[in-house]
Amino acid sequence: MDPVLVKMAFIGLGVLGCIGLVFGIGLALAAHKFAVKINPKVEEVLEVLAGAQ
Amino acid sequence: MGAALVLLVVLAGCRTEHRFVKKVTFEKTNDIVITFAGPVDAAWAKNVDNYTVFEKEDPDILLAIKEITLTPDRTKVTLHFKNALNQSRAHTLMIKDIISEGKSQGAAVLTVKKLYLGYLFSILIGAMLIHNFVFTKYLGLCVFFGTSQKRTTAVGMGITFTIVIVFASMLSWFMYQFILKPIRLDYLQVVVFIGLVSLSVQAVDTILRKVNPALFKAFGVYLVLVIANCIILATPLILADKEYNAWESFMLSLGAGTGFLIALFLMSCVREKLELANVPPTYRGLPIAFIVAGLFALAFLGFSGMAIF
Repeated sequence: MDPVLVKMAFIGLGVLGCIGLVFGIGLALAAHKFAVKINPKVEEVLEVLAGAQ
Repeated sequence: MGAALVLLVVLAGCRTEHRFVKKVTFEKTNDIVITFAGPVDAAWAKNVDNYTVFEKEDPDILLAIKEITLTPDRTKVTLHFKNALNQSRAHTLMIKDIISEGKSQGAAVLTVKKLYLGYLFSILIGAMLIHNFVFTKYLGLCVFFGTSQKRTTAVGMGITFTIVIVFASMLSWFMYQFILKPIRLDYLQVVVFIGLVSLSVQAVDTILRKVNPALFKAFGVYLVLVIANCIILATPLILADKEYNAWESFMLSLGAGTGFLIALFLMSCVREKLELANVPPTYRGLPIAFIVAGLFALAFLGFSGMAIF
């Protein structure tokens, strides 16, 4: 294999991984900061229902 | 606001790079008009060798000048070219020392181009009507048919879509121009753009849920549906392909969003009326909707080939 291509592939993996990580952390922080309290009973009721649609 | 816009237009129209040249513009199909600040020497102005004109991207192809005319007050020179100029591209005009009343005013290198705001506006209208994504490129049809049953949902979906597409396209444009292209990863553009689109949808969803619950409720399920729309992926790909800059990208994505909004609105108006019409049972529902969409596409074909500015 051409070492140039291998290097390019690894750079791609690294950069895209970093971008993904940064945005993932950003989204997690946003979800934490803008968290909305949802009544836990809503989920419980939904679970009991048949839920085909 | 209006005054600022006018000022911008005026500034964009009169900007030149030489103090003695007031304005350079295209005129008709093969003319360039140069306006000088003072009267120039007639013998100098009429000499074809004093001017060199070429398209900015092709400096080795010089354009041949057929004739030069001068107005009686000797401030306006018109260059007539042998062939029609491609006015959508920027041209470079080089003038050898300008002689005005026996004195030299120095040489000038000028750029001739069409009004930039007009160009931006033509991108907007082009994406909105002439190359409407739904009716001329047949993209985003599943969401188009899914949400065009009622006028209120159609408008809600269109507005949500416009906001998200502008946000996602600008993000994708930035990523492509400043990260993917410099490290030669542009072959991964599709993967990255899909990620960015879902990221922006998720971000809008999360933030809107907290900041404006009423609006969030109004958008409802449509916000998530935006991910499944292919216009929102096509736009960044077009931006990457055409190498647009920030303003052009903004205009194209805004045009794509509002074009989708227009398409949804028109379709929902017709479909609300269709509910009351006596449609044969085989055609009820989606089949007649497809036929109506086809008729709209035919109508939008009337815009094709139109050029603005």
